[in-house]
Amino acid sequence: MAGKPVRPVNAIDQTRRMLSLVTYLRERPGARVEDVARAFGITEDELVSDLDVLPMCGTSFRGGDLLDIDTDGERIWWHNPAALGADAAEPLRLAADEATALLVAARAVATLPGLRESDRQALLRATAKVETAAGEAAGASARLSVTFESEGGVFADVDRAISERRRLWIRYYSPARDEVTEREIDPIRLVSVGHTYVEAWCRRSEARRTFRLDRVAEIRILDEPSAPPEVELRDLSEGLVQPAAEDPEVVVEVGPGGRWVAEYYPHDSADELPDGGLRITLRTPDPASLRRLALRLGRDGRIVSPPELADSARRAAREALAAYDGVEAAGTPRGPGESEHAHDRQERGL
Amino acid sequence: MAIAKAERLMNLALCLLGTRRPLSKRELRQSIEAYLEAGSDDSFNRMFERDKDDLRELGLVIETVESLDGEVGYLARRDSNRLPPITLDAEEAAALGLAAKVWQQARLAGAASGALQKLRAAGLPEEVDPYEPHSALEPRIPVHEAAFEPLMLACRDRRPVVFDYRKANAAQPEARHVEPWALECWRGHWYLAGFDRDRGAERVFRLSRITGKVRSRGARFTAPVPDVVTVRETVASWAGETADRSALIRLRTGAGYPLRAKATSVRELGDGWDELEIPYGHGLDAWLVEFGPDVVVLEPAELRADVVDRLRAVAKG
Repeated sequence: MAGKPVRPVNAIDQTRRMLSLVTYLRERPGARVEDVARAFGITEDELVSDLDVLPMCGTSFRGGDLLDIDTDGERIWWHNPAALGADAAEPLRLAADEATALLVAARAVATLPGLRESDRQALLRATAKVETAAGEAAGASARLSVTFESEGGVFADVDRAISERRRLWIRYYSPARDEVTEREIDPIRLVSVGHTYVEAWCRRSEARRTFRLDRVAEIRILDEPSAPPEVELRDLSEGLVQPAAEDPEVVVEVGPGGRWVAEYYPHDSADELPDGGLRITLRTPDPASLRRLALRLGRDGRIVSPPELADSARRAAREALAAYDGVEAAGTPRGPGESEHAHDRQERGL
Repeated sequence: MAIAKAERLMNLALCLLGTRRPLSKRELRQSIEAYLEAGSDDSFNRMFERDKDDLRELGLVIETVESLDGEVGYLARRDSNRLPPITLDAEEAAALGLAAKVWQQARLAGAASGALQKLRAAGLPEEVDPYEPHSALEPRIPVHEAAFEPLMLACRDRRPVVFDYRKANAAQPEARHVEPWALECWRGHWYLAGFDRDRGAERVFRLSRITGKVRSRGARFTAPVPDVVTVRETVASWAGETADRSALIRLRTGAGYPLRAKATSVRELGDGWDELEIPYGHGLDAWLVEFGPDVVVLEPAELRADVVDRLRAVAKG
């Protein structure tokens, strides 16, 4: 999983790979299966399945022009490299999609503020060389662009703490409870999915947490070593917010103007309502954190359940309105039902 | 057993790359086993056309040449298919390796790996395993929207499209005829900029609001494509980040950190409240209401009225 690119089996990708393999193997008689698989970023099984196809290929299936390539599982031998003329095995130019995929990604990564300067310089040099080599094929890459969001200074500190294995002290804003809390965290990795996050072991809650860098109000690298327990890294391709099955359920009904809720909150279901609205069912470890959503929705939606959550939003609105009547509500404690449990999973919101 | 498509494509590629003179369809059919087994001329012709398109998709430049006696032949010339010399050092190779794995979209992930493999065949250094993370950083480009791939291809090929689009506050989607210019990912969401034919003007669309299929229109673009397409500025203005006015609010001490972070001035009132001046852009009313009784709007009156209005709707529940 981690480290390997997403690569579905399809005929076009496999053909592209085999064309490069032929060029590569021609120069390396007796290449090791293990080394070749690593050089191509594929598993040994994938490589072996390519090696099964190659002996069926050639400039003609008649007259012994097929590629005589075989493997004993450890090394790869090509017995008739002359079957392909020297110039028929040269490296191929990049296709428009290939140039686009590589260049757009490289430009995006190069904009990450926290990238090490030496890495950024290497990436910029490589990007320029690939642009030149791709020639016209590079043109279409201007039609796609990606910006990663991240907070430069915070990013650099987190990156340094990870490489030096040191603990971090942060002041972190939690929108669910609208408060800034201090924590010590042992950072594990940085993840950029739209926003940039640090996945860390939180010493205060003794649990793994994900912190969004633009919500870090203050950061300091501590002298203590970072010692996160061995945790299995999650595959984050499904999104950072992954509600658990045991989390309480919240049902929200929105009108047409509140349909954005279904875009921002991961949910179990969103059923169409006759008025053009939606009935959205979602799960969250801390329903009280959704009071903000109820307030934000206004006349565009309401919380159907749990009833305590709907009540708490109504009370908050009444209390807020009192201030506009000239009656101050200062000193009133926070709304009840606000959980003390630390969590940073409710990461959405505009 | 039917011959695998990859084998057939590979054979066609090797034949076209290996020849110095154009090969006719008949000759190719005689050289490639899968084509001999294709059955009727019709099914062979269809298969052959598709295969040529697929090879072009992965970058092969295939020329069609008509001979003096009218026979059509095909070849992939070496000089138009050869990668120009490129020399990358180990650091550059590692940096490209990091970039090649950020795509979470199958087509682009495959294309990025393919690009790296071609560079590998051209001698990309191997001392560093590009797939081994050498930094704590794991950037990922998310692509969850089904409309992404057809729009990416339409932008690439400059083909007009039509799709159903549901505006943020609309119940029903509406068909939009668009000449797509560019796609941009910002804050994890994909947006399309293009020329909206019905409105006769540039528009920006959010991909997650496209419902149903993106269909291609055969015709060409009618409007000129600007040199620079700016998606982000448009989206930022939707998000109220291009405010040119300011608002005055009272905020309970200790509350509303993000409001403080955006404030142009903060004054402590000393009675458990602070007074803040913040940029007043689109959507500020909805945002302020989120803070419930911890925020009181002082000015302008229009914002105050909007916030009160929203609070009343919630209070009535």
